[in-house]
Amino acid sequence: MRATRYRGAAIALTGVLAVSLSACAGGDTDASGPADLKMALWSSNEGHLALLKKIGDAYVAEHGDEVTSITFEPVTNPDYIAGLTTQIAGGDVPDLAWIPEASGPEFVDSGILHDVRDTLKDTEGYDLDDILPAALAPWQDDKGGVYAYPFSNSPFALYINEDLLAKAGQPDVKSLVGTPNYTWETITDIAAATNSKTGAVGLNVPTFNPTNWSAVTMLGNAWGAAPWSEDGATCEFASPGMIDYLTWYQKQMSRGAIPAVSGNAAPAAFASGDVAFSIAQLSQSGSLDDSFEWSFLPLPAGPKGYHPIVGQAGVSVLERSKHQKQAAGFLAYLTNPTNAELLAQFFPPPRQSLLNVKTLSKAAPKLSPEEIQSAIIDVVPEAKVKPQHPVLSQFSDKVRAGLDPVWSGGDVKAAVTGICEQISPTLKG
Amino acid sequence: MRSDASSAARGRSRVTAVTLYVLLVAASVPFLYPTLWMFFSSFKPANEIFLQPPTLLPGEWTLDGFAQVFTAQPFLQQYGNSMYIAAIVTVASILLSAMAGYAFARIRFPLRNVAFTLMLAAMMVPTEVTIIPIFTAVNAMGLNNTHWPLIILPILGPTAVVSVFIFRQHFLSFPKEYEEAARLDGVTRAGVFFRIALPLAKPAIAAVGIMAFLRSFNMYFEALIFLRTPENFTLGLAITRYQDFYGEQMWNTQLGAASLTVVPILVVFLIAQKQFVQGLAQTGLKG
Amino acid sequence: MTARTSAANDRRVVPSRRPRPDGDRWLGVAFVAPQVLGVIILGVVPFLFVIWYSFNEWRPLTGEMKFIGLDNYSRLFADPTFSASVIASLLFSAGVLVLNLVIAISLAVLLNRRMKGITAFRTIFFSPVVVSVVAWSVTWGFLLAPDGGLNGALRLLGIDGTNWLADSSTALISLVVVQVFKGVGMNMVLFLAALQSVPEEIREAAQLDGASPWKSFWSITVPMIAPTILLTGILTTIGSLEVFAPVQLLTGGGPGDATNVLPFFLYRTAFVSQQFGYASAIGVVLFAIILTLTMLQWTSRRKWVHDEV
Repeated sequence: MRATRYRGAAIALTGVLAVSLSACAGGDTDASGPADLKMALWSSNEGHLALLKKIGDAYVAEHGDEVTSITFEPVTNPDYIAGLTTQIAGGDVPDLAWIPEASGPEFVDSGILHDVRDTLKDTEGYDLDDILPAALAPWQDDKGGVYAYPFSNSPFALYINEDLLAKAGQPDVKSLVGTPNYTWETITDIAAATNSKTGAVGLNVPTFNPTNWSAVTMLGNAWGAAPWSEDGATCEFASPGMIDYLTWYQKQMSRGAIPAVSGNAAPAAFASGDVAFSIAQLSQSGSLDDSFEWSFLPLPAGPKGYHPIVGQAGVSVLERSKHQKQAAGFLAYLTNPTNAELLAQFFPPPRQSLLNVKTLSKAAPKLSPEEIQSAIIDVVPEAKVKPQHPVLSQFSDKVRAGLDPVWSGGDVKAAVTGICEQISPTLKG
Repeated sequence: MRSDASSAARGRSRVTAVTLYVLLVAASVPFLYPTLWMFFSSFKPANEIFLQPPTLLPGEWTLDGFAQVFTAQPFLQQYGNSMYIAAIVTVASILLSAMAGYAFARIRFPLRNVAFTLMLAAMMVPTEVTIIPIFTAVNAMGLNNTHWPLIILPILGPTAVVSVFIFRQHFLSFPKEYEEAARLDGVTRAGVFFRIALPLAKPAIAAVGIMAFLRSFNMYFEALIFLRTPENFTLGLAITRYQDFYGEQMWNTQLGAASLTVVPILVVFLIAQKQFVQGLAQTGLKG
Repeated sequence: MTARTSAANDRRVVPSRRPRPDGDRWLGVAFVAPQVLGVIILGVVPFLFVIWYSFNEWRPLTGEMKFIGLDNYSRLFADPTFSASVIASLLFSAGVLVLNLVIAISLAVLLNRRMKGITAFRTIFFSPVVVSVVAWSVTWGFLLAPDGGLNGALRLLGIDGTNWLADSSTALISLVVVQVFKGVGMNMVLFLAALQSVPEEIREAAQLDGASPWKSFWSITVPMIAPTILLTGILTTIGSLEVFAPVQLLTGGGPGDATNVLPFFLYRTAFVSQQFGYASAIGVVLFAIILTLTMLQWTSRRKWVHDEV
């Protein structure tokens, strides 16, 4: 072996390659002149894309001097936020993006989003004050900056397969709404009975898989449970409320009211007709046909009362966009009262002026006016958003791992204590 | 172990043969059943997939699962992406690793042992380890969401070392006389490689070609990191993205797409399996 | 891995005139250049960067990068997720290595005979190798579900199956099984080829001497296929430490961190938690583990591989 003699040469060669590799880095393009805008979004639904494209084309036609084209790029990664952050980290920054609410504070805090308050305020006819304060709050910082328009502000509701319940000989759930009997306990009793009589799934919790723990813990509000304190600094997974809630949840799984978790697989779809209850949002009604009769009801109450929840998504301009100004201009157009009404076709709007049966009936023609009133309009003003935290991505996997034993029937108290031990240092920052 | 060859034990050997078949049939189940189940379930209506007790054959045959394969995603284009990437990777891997394997086996040149040791060592650096610098370099070159990383990495990256090794082993045992005769006739060394050694290396070509094709076709981690838009997806990534808008998996569609991905290659394999297996058997990995 | 075959060639060295030896030298360099440079640019250099990155705190979302010395490592060794991840990787790798080699050699021995239908079985055992890893994983996901095919079959036998992928005692072994059945056909073929090069007379002679098939397997067959065991062992180990797709598609690292193998932990840390520096430290550890296990197998060969590879 003459290896040693050449080792020096090999190392030198390596160094040269390293330099040449990094020299390949591309330069920035300039930001002046009309822009080609790119917007990243979660949905690849044709209807959504067509509507957005229509609004985009109209804007380009009016403002050709500022914007020459607008491209809508779906990021279809099931883990949307991982896909988006990977894209941003890669320096391939879209000008606008949909941001799910769970990541809102984190994105606002780390300065990724551009403050669009002034643009929105100064746009004629935009009427920023029309936006529900509760909906806007997650997207604001202490100084009142506005980092997104919460274009979808959609309450979680209880879908019910009436045919399946009738087949299983269960009582009429609809008539329970508004009575003290409309509780999770009643619903899960019915779910468990339906499951044991028909083999169908009892109650589906939204997009429930082990990595989506925030969707599951959000229901804990009705048990007085929250994952952490209001200021985000203290872990509250081990609070009595959360333990009660998770113990209850475990019991529902063991008696078949809620399906067991299966690895990374999703549960049966409500649309398949084999699910008695499903917690989902308004937009899901779009996937339901007439093959069975269903209703859309507000969430039931828990031991600590009725706690409605909304799921949100915002549209933001990214700070690292090379066309912030043009992108903010388009955002103001996309979400003005006229276009917000168009968007309401798919996404319940956060605007007070649009929150009425007439507008929302367009959004979900399959819902009755009473359902819209009781499960959406009455709900939105008091609803809370899903749990949020400014460094969520840094400890989210630890919570996921910590909760896993709960889903498979393990000791709840040990699990939540373990979670708090693990994430408390991160929460404190 | 060929005890059945012994005539003294013929009676016993019949029993042995039956035992052997039973054993082999039982062993086949975990290899065969998943693929069969995937194939047949793609003809089931969605609600039959978790029917209790589970079934292999559909109770009601339907093409529903396939209907949305092509509308929910640009599946044909994704198929094309996977095929053209795998084709480039296969051809380039064969050519480049044959050249390198031949040189390592037959030509003396400076730093040969250092270079070969370096290559063997590089096998221990998978893309999973180096993904961050590769990710930043790919982005810096503006190649994010293109197929370039999926083409370059398997051809030239550390995963290609096994191919070089296979060719090297093959050419080490390639009779020198053939080459020397040609060289005395005035054929250049390059000519010897391209006109004599390479055409005679069919088993190694088959082995490397199959491995390179499968490697490219199975590439998932890199695709997940580098590809963003559905029209650029490769098949592996596409199969994981059959969700309806509300995030619920479209099971039968997903299984339909999986079947469409698997079945054509399986058919090619069944037709060419003799060459397939023989090529692999002669990789030189048997020592 | 060179000695045996090159020695074989040296025997036939002909006193040859070497036409244009210098031209040959450069041809050799040119022939290996693409692959050698490729391995340096896409393997060695990025790895040096990984080492460098591991000394930094780097949040790619904001682009901030700060030198912090060994802090990532001290954090790593205090992180329970990391130790769980190392354990998951080692258990997974050990499980795959043992199960894969045992099944591959057993199948090869069973198939190494002339009998009707042997080719069909060989085809069946090899077929998962050509099935896309994503399709294979997705399908097993259905089969291993609580009300999936496996539990359905067990119920017919009167056994109550568990929730394979969600139960912390079965999730990792389920992944091992998925990985092994996917790839064992490849090793089986390699072993078949190795077995076919074992001269039949030697085994028959041993049996005439009264050695049981089991004994002659250990004393004759195994030593003769030892080089193949070594090579497939090393390649299978490296491959198992790189596992990603089945983990992401079937368990997402759970339950708990039972299947949170290092490549998956690295991916989540880098691309979900957005901590490139910390993830790079995980990469360095992953490399160190691959290096150690490969070296262990390679240096142990003197003890059991008599015929040098």
